[in-house]
Amino acid sequence: MAGDQDPFDAIVMADDRFHGEGYQEGYEEGSSLGIIEGRQHGTLHGAKIGSEIGCYQGFAFAWRCLLHGRATEKDSKKMKVLESLIGMIQKFPYDDPTYAKLHDDLDRIRGRFKQLCSLLNVQPDFKISVEGSGLSF
Amino acid sequence: MSWVQAATFVGDQGEQGEVFDEEADESLLVQREWRSHMQRRVKEGYRDGLEAGKAVTLQQGFNQGYKEGAEVIINYGQLRGTLSALLSWCHLHDNSSTLIGKINNLLDAVGQCEECVLKHLKSVTPQPHVVDLLDSIQDMDLCHVVPAEKESDKAKDERLCENNAELNKKCNKSLDCSSSQCGREHTRSENPSLSWILEQTASLVKQLGVSVDILQHLKQL
Repeated sequence: MAGDQDPFDAIVMADDRFHGEGYQEGYEEGSSLGIIEGRQHGTLHGAKIGSEIGCYQGFAFAWRCLLHGRATEKDSKKMKVLESLIGMIQKFPYDDPTYAKLHDDLDRIRGRFKQLCSLLNVQPDFKISVEGSGLSF
Repeated sequence: MSWVQAATFVGDQGEQGEVFDEEADESLLVQREWRSHMQRRVKEGYRDGLEAGKAVTLQQGFNQGYKEGAEVIINYGQLRGTLSALLSWCHLHDNSSTLIGKINNLLDAVGQCEECVLKHLKSVTPQPHVVDLLDSIQDMDLCHVVPAEKESDKAKDERLCENNAELNKKCNKSLDCSSSQCGREHTRSENPSLSWILEQTASLVKQLGVSVDILQHLKQL
């Protein structure tokens, strides 16, 4: 084959070119699809954790007010646990799914919350109905 | 790989050409084959690109949605937590069952509100950037005032649709309400119920003889 251009090269190039054109178009479409799909999943997971953390926070803040008015000596232990829970919640980056210690910290917060409830001798029902409730990821 | 043969055949119509009986028909067939092969290559490329593009942005979208969902819903959680604290307080202090019933109703109402907001959040699919919206609206020359970012006392969740709603509101001055805007009006009408819950909670707190400071942390709502 003594032609100016090797026909095989031409074929391979055309092959790549067509594939590349499709790829480009697909990439753009896929990028926006990925954002949409990811966002939908993310919203649900974020909402679940926001709901849970918000509950603990609201509960803890409210009880701090309730105890504050009539803090007696025997309430000091409750206050200590309460303050510790509030501190943990405030340090918790609830809106960051990439936080490495998300599960560890969440478990610690849950544990402290339970401890507080038993000290207060209450069993709160948050009536969480957000799909399936609890975290499952 | 008959198209390879065809390419060489087109390239140098020498001895190889003689192999074919009907040159014209054969090259037409080969051309068709070549075209369909290239279409297939475009499709393959598209599929590969789609997957690659998706893989790159999926996490990004997840993170965005997560942040959004968490930031909006945490306010409802706080309200729910506060009401639960009041409820447990009532149980401890043997308060009247009417108050307890009231708190339970409010808790249910918060749940409904939360569900609506979540549904709305999920349905907001390709969220347009405010800048893009403003650009296109300016292009249309409908609004002459660029809405300033106002810190309102409305619910935080409204901020999401606020971007849209704010623009709609402005545009409604010059445009008739289109069906899609009416749809958005509907979601906005859920907010009064949240302020109603807050009002009810405040009066409840007073009835319990507790300082209203207890609701201070709910200010963002």
